[in-house]
Amino acid sequence: MDISRGDFIKTLMGATGLMLLRKPAIKATSQSTSSVSEYAILVDVSKCVGCWWCFAACKNYNNLPEEIKPESESPPELSSKTWTTLSTVNINNRWVYRKHACMHCTDAACVKVCPAGALNYTEEGYVLYDRDKCIGCGYCAEFCPYEIPKLENNKITGIDTMSKCTFCKERIENGQQPACVEACPTGALKFGKRQELLEEAKERVKELSKKNRNACLYGEYEMGGLHVLYVLPDKPSVYSLPEMPISPASLIVQKDIFHPLAWISWGVIAAGLAVNLLVVRARQLKKKEGG
Amino acid sequence: MQQIERYTSSARWFHWVHVVAFLWLALSGLLLFGSWFGFTPVGIWIRIIHRVGAVLLLGAPLLYAILHIRKSWSFIKEAFTWGKVDLEWVKAAPGYYFGNDKTKMPPQGYINTGMKLFRLCILLGMAIFIITGLILWFFKGTVPPEVIQYSLLLHDIAFILSICFLFIHIQLAVLHPKMDEGLLSIVDGKVSAEYAKSHHGLWYDETVKNGK
Repeated sequence: MDISRGDFIKTLMGATGLMLLRKPAIKATSQSTSSVSEYAILVDVSKCVGCWWCFAACKNYNNLPEEIKPESESPPELSSKTWTTLSTVNINNRWVYRKHACMHCTDAACVKVCPAGALNYTEEGYVLYDRDKCIGCGYCAEFCPYEIPKLENNKITGIDTMSKCTFCKERIENGQQPACVEACPTGALKFGKRQELLEEAKERVKELSKKNRNACLYGEYEMGGLHVLYVLPDKPSVYSLPEMPISPASLIVQKDIFHPLAWISWGVIAAGLAVNLLVVRARQLKKKEGG
Repeated sequence: MQQIERYTSSARWFHWVHVVAFLWLALSGLLLFGSWFGFTPVGIWIRIIHRVGAVLLLGAPLLYAILHIRKSWSFIKEAFTWGKVDLEWVKAAPGYYFGNDKTKMPPQGYINTGMKLFRLCILLGMAIFIITGLILWFFKGTVPPEVIQYSLLLHDIAFILSICFLFIHIQLAVLHPKMDEGLLSIVDGKVSAEYAKSHHGLWYDETVKNGK
């Protein structure tokens, strides 16, 4: 097996980090890739016809400014006003579309880096955010391997807040489906228990792999398990998905190694200096008494 | 008792402005470091507050450097001037700082080896803080994400180390019984001749020679 030096160092640091780290509560529930309470959206790329209804429904439900139907050649990028879009690719003169929005990772880099605690996991596996807590530092946008979070920059005050897909949590709590799923006319989007969707996705991939051996399921293990699962007729990079998404190495080094190390080194130095004072005072006293 | 001037009034002003800026940044930085600002009245204003300190931290040395170019240059030059005597100092230092044993300490100039080390750390630390800080302030979204990611890491590492050096600085300037004139000298600018002779022998001789 070929392991590059960088990968080796990353693994080593990651392992060291894990030993030092007090485990976040979410880890317990994410041990099994899908606990019973987790939900997901299944995106079957082979069934998507690029009608943009998910895009429009998302804007409609979330009160985001609407736009005319985009062109496949220039799909809108995610922004603070567009929380879901289609990533397009032209294969043999045919447009292929992949719905692109927050993946709701199990081990999300954005949650880990957020200094404000504004990003959090829910029991259902969603990654949600609290706008009132957001300080607009933008680290989530810089650390997300899928470049999902976007910031609304207020040029005057300099204060921003991040925004992204919310999984339509309120709709689900009211017994509805996420707006994008409900709008999908072809069955390319499906909302349900993650465990069940995984089974279904695997069946679909089995079928698709008869045509293309590269057909795959994306999201079962990526970033600890995504809550948006993709059935892809070809390998992930074709649809501009990273084959091996990872949290930035610097984040693991920073939060799992240097942060605990900080308290240890400050403690050791403070204790050492206190001992120094005690020793030097005692010796001085002795000298005076002796002299 | 005869007094010798050690720090000019602008150097003292600079020192204390730097202290205020550093503590301002360290405290607001600590709130960010530990994600505690949410529980303080500071809340979402933390970034603005941190940046006020940053302007002060960058502005003060720039102003001082403009007003006192030659002194600033020698400040930097001294930090990089190393010799054999520094090695002797390092060898003798533990015995001196822990055991009051001054016999092996080589006579020191205006600043001793430890102070030189501290200056180097300040210069390096300031460079890291300022460069990564400016990147984090102005270049989000315009440079590759990795640049932001590693700037954040370096900013944190510089913070961790600078707090360590702050502890040591306070110890040797204020708390250590041997440095009993340290704090006073940066307040009124003077040390006694006796103190100068014992702590900075070479500097004392030079000063006397120059007839000050």
